[in-house]
Amino acid sequence: MGDSNNVNLPPGFRFCPTDEELVVHFLQRKASLLPYHPDIIPDLDLYPYDPWDLDGKALEEGKNWYYYSRRTQNRITANGYWKPWGCDEQIINSNSSKRVGVKKYYIFHIGEGPESVKTNWIMQEFRLSDGSNLSGSSASSSGRSKRRSQSKIDFSKWVICRVFDHSCDNDNEEDGTELSCLDEVFLSLDDFDDISFPN
Amino acid sequence: MFLSLLLLCYHYLFLGMSKEEMSLSVNVNGQSKVPPGFRFHPTEEELLHYYLRKKVAYEKIDLDVIRDVDLNKLEPWDIQEKCRIGSTPQNDWYFFSHKDKKYPTGTRTNRATAAGFWKATGRDKVIYSSFRRIGMRKTLVFYKGRAPHGQKSDWIMHEYRLDDNTITSQDYGSGSSNLCDSAQEEGWVVCRVFKKKNYHKAVESPQRSSSAHSIDSTTQMQSLNKGGSVRDQFLVYVSGRSCKREMDSPSLINITTTHDCNPMQQFANPIDDRFMHLPRLDSITSLTTSGHLSSATFDQDSNFHAHASMNQFLTENEHSMNTSINKVHDTRAHEQLDHWADLDRLVASQLNGQQSSAKAMYTCYNEPNEDICFPLNHHDQEPQVHGSTSMVKANQAAYTSEIDLWSFAQSSSQSSSPDPFYHLSV
Repeated sequence: MGDSNNVNLPPGFRFCPTDEELVVHFLQRKASLLPYHPDIIPDLDLYPYDPWDLDGKALEEGKNWYYYSRRTQNRITANGYWKPWGCDEQIINSNSSKRVGVKKYYIFHIGEGPESVKTNWIMQEFRLSDGSNLSGSSASSSGRSKRRSQSKIDFSKWVICRVFDHSCDNDNEEDGTELSCLDEVFLSLDDFDDISFPN
Repeated sequence: MFLSLLLLCYHYLFLGMSKEEMSLSVNVNGQSKVPPGFRFHPTEEELLHYYLRKKVAYEKIDLDVIRDVDLNKLEPWDIQEKCRIGSTPQNDWYFFSHKDKKYPTGTRTNRATAAGFWKATGRDKVIYSSFRRIGMRKTLVFYKGRAPHGQKSDWIMHEYRLDDNTITSQDYGSGSSNLCDSAQEEGWVVCRVFKKKNYHKAVESPQRSSSAHSIDSTTQMQSLNKGGSVRDQFLVYVSGRSCKREMDSPSLINITTTHDCNPMQQFANPIDDRFMHLPRLDSITSLTTSGHLSSATFDQDSNFHAHASMNQFLTENEHSMNTSINKVHDTRAHEQLDHWADLDRLVASQLNGQQSSAKAMYTCYNEPNEDICFPLNHHDQEPQVHGSTSMVKANQAAYTSEIDLWSFAQSSSQSSSPDPFYHLSV
């Protein structure tokens, strides 16, 4: 969590970006060499870290690890590999309703080949849409016309990875926007109150 | 000595202020200065320990993240506009509210708005910070309309308040005892408002499948809670609150969950459709009578046992029995409840402290009275109930819960006889 402390925010603020924010703000700007703030997501390039090794290297926030990487055919780590899973999801820019990126899922497997064992580690890899019109979609951000040289950059090269342990998901249930099961029971009991005064 | 203390305190305050001023350069209002990707998701501890404590101490809060709101003048659907943080979409909103009393003398808080009111639900939850109690959380639901006829909405509010003695125990500078007093008088609370997600809706109106009712209900119960067990939580709650004794016997568990080995199963084959549509809870009551009934009389089974248990309750008091039966007829006329709702009501009556009657009722189901016998030709005469009349003193307060069970019985037998209770009406 250390990196996000660089951002001078009062307690209670957490880095929980939407998919769109990851693509539009972080990935596009990184790929087009625009300055972006906050610069909190570290670039781990293609280092073959196992998911449990990301601690301290990637940006950790609420059981999620974020880092920049490169697009690659196979993500093989020291003890296993990331196996593609499901189909790609399109990331839409809500302002321009253009497709700006793609989200791809991976599941970490320990071992090699047919004897590998599936784990609970999930990776979401965000990449920019192929041939995405970067100058158009970043028009809303500042300083658009000054950097025309960006078109020479291979935009599909960069990716942002979000890694999390699927089995830890339940730990986040106390985030306040969920009612506890007990509260639900009480709520249903309230329907049978004969008198209901505001108290 | 005292002077130096004061000086120290002043020094502390001053330092604190200057630190805050530095971080105030980021301004939430107007243009969003919250960096992209960041959301305000404070923990309960942060809300209480940092924000509310600063509020009651009149300290300035960085960024002005949490605003003051007059709850009586703000409808929940306007809160999101008023309490927006930055420009990012939010699912929950935060504000400070100053509790004002409904009546000058009372302790109740006025939480009515122009369009409705906030009504507390459940029990307040204690908030801990590293195993120390720091405050309480109250859960409220917004009802549209006016008090007795309010219409429940999906807007939920968590209202956090500091514990009365929290601040004195903190190392919060030297003027802490003053802060404590003001905290109590001022009545500042910090609130989180959000909209309830409605993915439980499907469970609330379960499809009655014609077979394996008990299994259905059990799975419904399990699907209601994610992973954990509502039932366990609930039983723990019930036992903690009032019903230690019920917990000793397995009866309460039977009532709320149905049996794993369903006594109905032995009758599963010969029975007709009407029986198959019996509400689930009848399977419990059939426990009491199963030993005494032949399958020939099974259609009216529910009549019998309901009748019998009612008699058990009421043999000592003929008059009150009559009135209660009339009540049953009334209830029946305009109530078509599904069994989950009934169960809820039963539980509600349990929570409301009618455990004596409820216990008697459970006992009756769980320990079938060997002496009850049912005449086959029940249309001609009252069922004979020999045996323990000493079970319960029927008291008026008990009727509500009994009637709930009655409504199961008669709704199930409606199809089999035009008026299952005609022989009871006097």
